[in-house]
Amino acid sequence: MDLQKKLEILSGAAKYDASCSSSGSSRKNVNGGLGNNQSSGICHSWSDDGRCISLLKILLTNICTYNCVYCVNRATNDIPRASFTPEEIVDLTINFYRRNYIEGLFLSSAIIRNPDYTMELMLKTVRKLRIEHKFNGYIHLKAIPGTDSALIAEAGQYVDRMSVNIELPSNDSLKLLAPQKKKESIIKPMGFINSKILESNEVGRFYKKPKKLFVPGGQSTQLIVGATPDHDFNILKLTQGLYRRFQLKRVYYSAYVPVLSHPNLPAVARPPLQREHRLYQADWLLRFYGFKAEELLDDNHVNFSSDIDPKSDWAIRNIHLFPIEINTADYELLIRVPGIGVLSARRIINARKMCSLGYEHLKKIGVVLKRARHFITCRGKYYGEIGMNELLIRNFLTDKPVNLQEQNSDWQQLSIFSHIADSNILENNSLLLS
Amino acid sequence: MKYIYDGSFEGYLTAIYEAYYRRETPERILPDTNLQESLFEENIRIETNSSKASRVANSINEKISPTSLENVYYTFLSELDESDVWIFQYIKLGFKVGKNIDSYLSDDRVLKIMKINRKVTREIHRMLGLIRFRQLEGNIFYAPIEPDFNIITLIAPHFQKRFADQNWVIHDIKRNLAVLFDCINMVLAPLTPDFAIELSKKETDYQHLWIQYFKSIAIKNRINPKLQKQFMPHRYWKYLIEK
Repeated sequence: MDLQKKLEILSGAAKYDASCSSSGSSRKNVNGGLGNNQSSGICHSWSDDGRCISLLKILLTNICTYNCVYCVNRATNDIPRASFTPEEIVDLTINFYRRNYIEGLFLSSAIIRNPDYTMELMLKTVRKLRIEHKFNGYIHLKAIPGTDSALIAEAGQYVDRMSVNIELPSNDSLKLLAPQKKKESIIKPMGFINSKILESNEVGRFYKKPKKLFVPGGQSTQLIVGATPDHDFNILKLTQGLYRRFQLKRVYYSAYVPVLSHPNLPAVARPPLQREHRLYQADWLLRFYGFKAEELLDDNHVNFSSDIDPKSDWAIRNIHLFPIEINTADYELLIRVPGIGVLSARRIINARKMCSLGYEHLKKIGVVLKRARHFITCRGKYYGEIGMNELLIRNFLTDKPVNLQEQNSDWQQLSIFSHIADSNILENNSLLLS
Repeated sequence: MKYIYDGSFEGYLTAIYEAYYRRETPERILPDTNLQESLFEENIRIETNSSKASRVANSINEKISPTSLENVYYTFLSELDESDVWIFQYIKLGFKVGKNIDSYLSDDRVLKIMKINRKVTREIHRMLGLIRFRQLEGNIFYAPIEPDFNIITLIAPHFQKRFADQNWVIHDIKRNLAVLFDCINMVLAPLTPDFAIELSKKETDYQHLWIQYFKSIAIKNRINPKLQKQFMPHRYWKYLIEK
C-alpha cells in the first residue's frame, strides 16, 4: 500500500479525536536541531469543517482487537485497514514540519495485539523523532489504557502532552458500549501521569539542576456527547472532577457522529453540535471564570438550554446579584457579567484607574453591551431599558425568541415598546431610576 | 504643513524629533513614496538622521515605556492611512502622562493605537501558521507571502529559531522584501519576484500528501465553510498548498 493511501485511512480514522491543541509547552531548540515550540500554540490551517489543524493527527494503525460499539475501528467493522511503520511517521512529521504545515505530531492508535505492544511501537516512533532527528516540535501521544506504567513513564519524557480518552461519561455507558474497557484502566494511567508531572515539578522547584521535562503540556481527555443518555450536569460534574483531581489541561467534547448503527446506539440524524458548543462554553466558565458545575446546572435543571448561553442563563436566575457598578465591582464579579469576558474585565480594571467609566467607554473597550447592559450600572445609571425583569431579559437574550412563542401560545412577540403597557415593569423601572 | 520622510522607521522618528525641536505640529508625516505633491501646500523634507532617531526611541523607552515603543513600531508597520497622525498624537500624550499611558483606554488617542496593534499582532500570529515553505532545488525552503501589514521583520525571528538547521527565504511579494537565512546569518533585503523557482524532486509528493491529509481530516457531517473562512480569511489562501 502506498503512503498516500495509508495517510488517507489513518488520518481519516483519527479525525474524531477533537484535540488538536499545540499549547502549553515551550520546548526550546537547544540542540541545533529542528523545531522550537511556541507555548501559545499555533494553528496552521482550518479544515472544511472549520476545525483547526495544528498537528499531524494520525493513528499508528487501525487494526484493533477491541470491539467498542461506538468506534469506527471496532474489530468487526468491515473497513480498509492499514499500519504505518515508525520510519514513515517520522518522515511525514519532519517533512510537514519543515514546510510549516504543522506544529508537530498527534499520535494515537488502535490496539494491535495488546496494549503494551502498541505502546512500544508508539514509543519507538517518538524516541526516533526526539533522539535521532533532534526534533523539538510538539508531540501529543495517546496513552493506551492498560499499558505497563514503565512504558508511560518513558514516553512522558519525550512528549509534550499525553491523553487518555474517557469517551463515555459514565460506568453504565461504558458497560453498554465498550464492555471490554474498564473505568479503572482509564483512570489509572491518568492518575499515574499526573503524579509524574507533579513529581517533576517538585524536582524543578527544589534543585537547581535543569529539570527533566515530563509531559510539560499536561494531559487532556475527550468525552463523547450524545451517544449515551448521560445529561449535561453529569458530564460537567465529571469534567470538574477531572480538572480538580488530575489537573487536566483540557477536557474535549466530541459531538457524537453516527458512523455505525447498532441496537445500543441512538439513532442521530445530525451530530449534536449545539450541545457540544454549550458544553464548551460551560467548560470555559469552569476554567477561567470561577464557576462551579453546581452553579450552572442542578438536579432539576440537568441540561443546558439551546436558546441561551450558560452564563446569561446563570445571571438571569441570579438576578438578585445584579446590577453591579462597573467602576467599583471586583474582577471576580465583573467576569460573571454576561458580555464581559476575561479580556474586557482586565481592560475595565485598568482603564477605571485613570477615570471613571461611562457607558460609551465600555463599547470601545470591547464589552458586548447587548448582553451586559441588563446587569450593570455605569456611574450609577442603569441602561437596561426593560428593567430587572427576569422574563423580559431572558427573552431579550435568547437566540431564538420565537421558540418561546411556540411553546406557549399566550406569549406575544415583544416589541421594544410593548412592555411599556405593563404597569408592573414601569414600576420596576421607576424604582431603579429614582 | 506636511513633513516628508524617506519611508523608514528611523526617518519617521527623525521627523518626530524635528517637530519637537522646531515646536511645530505637522498635519501629516508622509513617506516620499506615492506622494502627491500639491502646489498650495507647504512640504518640509526631513533628512533621516540615525542619532536623532535613536534619541527619540530612547526617550520613548525611558519616559514612557518599552511597550509603548513597541506599540509605536507595530502601528508604524501597519502602514494604515493616517497611522502617522495617530502615532504622533500617542507619543505626545505619552510624554505628558508617562508610563501608564496604555491604561488610558477611554482616550481615543490610546484606544486607536491599541486597536491597530491588536490587528497587527493578530496578523503576525496568523502568519506564523499560514506561511508555507516549498523546498527548491539546492535545498532552500522558499515561502511567498502577501500580508496586509509590513510584518516580515516581526515573523522572521520565529523561523530562525524553529528552522535553525535549514536554509530558508520568506518573500513579501507585495513589498518586494525578503528575509534570507543560511543557518548562520539572517538578512533583510529587497527582492523582486522576477525569477523562476524550481521545486525539488520530492516537493510535489509532500504537497500531495498534505492535500490528502487536509481532505481526510475533515468530518463530512460537520462541513462548515463559513467557520473555516472566519478563521482563515480568503485573502490568505493564495499561497496555501491545501486550498
